Amino acid sequence: MKKKIILSLFFLFLLFTTGAIITMFYILRVTSRLDTLITLHQVEILRQDLVINVQTVQSHLYTIGTSFGKELDVIVENVATLDSAIQKCSGCHHSPEISTKIIAIRDLTEQYKEALSTFITTTAGRERVERLQLVGANIGNMILAKTQEMAVIANQKLNEKTIAAIKDVSNSRIILIVTLLLCFFIALSIAASLTRGITEPVSELLKATRKIKSGELGYSTSYRGKDEFKELIEAFNDMSLTLDENNKKIIQHLVRLSGLYRITLSFHAITNVEDIYKEVSYGVAELVDVEQSGIILLDKDNELFSHRFPAFGLNPERMADIKIPKEEFVNIYLSSNRRPLLFNDNTGKLPMSDMDKSLGARNSMFVWIRQKGELIGAIRAANKKSGDFTEEDARMLGILANNVSVALENAKLYENLKKQMAELKEAQEQLVQAAKLAAIGELASNIAHEINNPLTSILGYSELIKEEADIHNIMRDIEVIEKESLRARDIVHQLLEFSKKRPLEIKEININNIISEVLSLVSVPLKDSNINITGNYDDVPTIEGDANQLKQVFLNIINNAIFAMPGGGTLAVATRSEKENVYVEISDMGKGIPHEILQRIFEPFFTTKQDKGTGLGLSISYKIIQSHHGSIDVESEEGKGSKFTIVLPFTIRQIS
Amino acid sequence: MLIKRISLIKPMILIFILIPVVTQAGQNQSMQELLIGLIPEQNIFRQMDRYRPLAAYLSEKTGLKVRLTILSKYGDIVERFKSRHLDGAFFGALTGTMAIIKLGVEPIARPVNQNGTSSVRSYIFVRADSKIDSVKDMNGKRAVFVDRATVTGYLFAAAFLRENGVNDIEKYFTEYFFTGSHDSAIYSVLDNRADIGSAQNTFFNVLVSKDPTIKRELRIIARSEEFPETTLCMRKNISPGIKNSLTNTLLNMDRDPAGRDILKKFGASKFIRAEIKDFNSVFNLAKRARVDIRTYEGDR
Repeated sequence: MKKKIILSLFFLFLLFTTGAIITMFYILRVTSRLDTLITLHQVEILRQDLVINVQTVQSHLYTIGTSFGKELDVIVENVATLDSAIQKCSGCHHSPEISTKIIAIRDLTEQYKEALSTFITTTAGRERVERLQLVGANIGNMILAKTQEMAVIANQKLNEKTIAAIKDVSNSRIILIVTLLLCFFIALSIAASLTRGITEPVSELLKATRKIKSGELGYSTSYRGKDEFKELIEAFNDMSLTLDENNKKIIQHLVRLSGLYRITLSFHAITNVEDIYKEVSYGVAELVDVEQSGIILLDKDNELFSHRFPAFGLNPERMADIKIPKEEFVNIYLSSNRRPLLFNDNTGKLPMSDMDKSLGARNSMFVWIRQKGELIGAIRAANKKSGDFTEEDARMLGILANNVSVALENAKLYENLKKQMAELKEAQEQLVQAAKLAAIGELASNIAHEINNPLTSILGYSELIKEEADIHNIMRDIEVIEKESLRARDIVHQLLEFSKKRPLEIKEININNIISEVLSLVSVPLKDSNINITGNYDDVPTIEGDANQLKQVFLNIINNAIFAMPGGGTLAVATRSEKENVYVEISDMGKGIPHEILQRIFEPFFTTKQDKGTGLGLSISYKIIQSHHGSIDVESEEGKGSKFTIVLPFTIRQIS
Repeated sequence: MLIKRISLIKPMILIFILIPVVTQAGQNQSMQELLIGLIPEQNIFRQMDRYRPLAAYLSEKTGLKVRLTILSKYGDIVERFKSRHLDGAFFGALTGTMAIIKLGVEPIARPVNQNGTSSVRSYIFVRADSKIDSVKDMNGKRAVFVDRATVTGYLFAAAFLRENGVNDIEKYFTEYFFTGSHDSAIYSVLDNRADIGSAQNTFFNVLVSKDPTIKRELRIIARSEEFPETTLCMRKNISPGIKNSLTNTLLNMDRDPAGRDILKKFGASKFIRAEIKDFNSVFNLAKRARVDIRTYEGDR
């Protein structure tokens, strides 16, 4: 195209140059004609001047005599002009015919001058003077005649030249119009050809580009073009195919990455190693399209590397004996410079070839799994369904191996954590039980006294029965004994019930009932004290919770309140509900809690009771309320008392 | 107020109209014209060609517009000087003498020829093949003269003829005529329109220099004494400033390169101061020819 454009431009240049030359030629020709015409007109003007001059001289020639001087000056001036004109005319280029006439006129002019001078200056002899006058006049007439002849010739020439000039002008006009039209149409056709030569391939390329833009990668235009456009279109088609291939590769890579991501993502949720083995084995089989894949890990007990199951395409029973000593495995790892091993031709003796041969592997790949810098195993893939293992396969499994390492570590950590959590739970349960027993212990002496009273009554009435003969009295005493026995049994029963180690049991409970049972438990010891219990219980909705544990909480707080009022006082208990929560407020009029220790009362083993407390009561209570998704708040003022507010939600979710 | 303004405008318009007129008049006045006459001592057209550069030079140097006019015939030169109101003229020896006596003109300068002379002589010549050797041989022949009012073209020949016994020219020659110019007189003899001729040596020499065959074709049979060369004489009442300006310009021409060029075209080497006494030889010749200058008309 470049060559075509250059040639076209050169042709256009030649065309316009030719047009310009033709135009210039005709312009010059016409102007030359016009110059000639102008010259001829000048000659005519000159001739007319000559005629005028000669005629003037001639007229004065016949008037010389009377007032002579002035006429003589006029004659002299006219003849000088005549002479000057004819001399000037002699220097011009004329046709030979005209030149001859001019030379003749010039000679005649010289003669005329001589004759005139002689005539003018001659004084002797009238006849002589008249003859001289006639000679001068004759020469003047001859000049006029010659001038007239010259005029005829000049006019003829003028006519010829004028006709020729007009013809030339006409021809020039036609030639110019033809040249201009020719140039215009040829230039137009060249421009159209060039435009078509450029726009067609560009349009085709634009169409192809739009196809590619719309996703039709690999689109090849059938338009072939010429010259540079041919190369451009070929390059474009190549580019389109390359784009398509690269796009496919990218998609394939993305699929693989997606697979890789899916596998690694599953690691976050997997907590046991078998699931990891399975995910990795099946994932690798899909990622690199193999018939066999699995994880080989070190068994630390016997220092052997062996496959872990589940694995893809491998039979556990068949693999039972396939184990590689740690030393051998590590040596292979080290000799590979810690890089993945790719065996695309397993015909020779290669590392791992014994294993591969045992498993019928045509080709195989080993990607090392490291943990904290130490080799712990490898991902093995074998029998690729299509083609050989590639570096890209190795890179992909390399990423997976790193994630497997982390996942295995996490699984191990998770197992450890689970074990520790179980231990912790056990310890907590034991602690709660201990606290519970401690709380019971605090009540023990009072409870023993309370049991002693019915027992004393029973014993007393038993003694009375022995002495009674009247059956009615005996029956009455027996009823008393029964009543006192039941009373003792209830106390013991309650105590037993509370002290039992029970698993967490969430039920629908009424908090007012729970508080009532706790107060019932403490009412016996308070019977002889000066502590007055007041209750203000709203009709609160049931809540979800463990009744036993909540009893323990309330018992702890009420025990502390009683302890805080050794001289007596009022223990106020109130319940209410507000915004999906039940509020339990327990207030005492005790000595209050000093500000400096108020923040520490929920800490484990913190107590102000010295020998009488374990320091676990409030700490356990805090944990229990937390496990119920509730909260405990305490307000206290030294010397005035304390107020505990327990907030419990109506429902507990996700309690495990 | 408006009336006053109008009355002022009118004189201003008049001033603006008159300013160019006055200026033009001043310019014309500053370019004063000097009309100088030429005696047709040669072909008048060649003479005009010869004198025009000199006139132009004088115009340029003096600031005067020097215009030339041909005085056709020698004889009536004095009358024409008056009638044409000439400021001056290049006079020949005889016309100059006549003008000095009759008009009181003042000679101011005359040219020095290329050969260093500033004088002219008269030649009496015949064709080389002529058998005329003496005045006796001239009897019954055709004679040609330049003009009665010329020393070299007539007066010397008249004196020469008289001194050789010819008292009546009209009877002595079968034909005689005046050509009005020296070169015409020479050509008349050359062309055999006359047998004897009389002309000034300078013109004779000029023609010979142009056409050396003339020297072979003509034979000089008498030569006169020297007479003053053509002299520029100015009218008696000319402004002294103009006269001095003209005189100085002419006398200093040979010191000016442009002037030297003009002098060369003119056929002179310089101009020298002219005086009345230069014309004494003419008075003497007139006596010899028995001519009274005071009454001599110079006409035929």
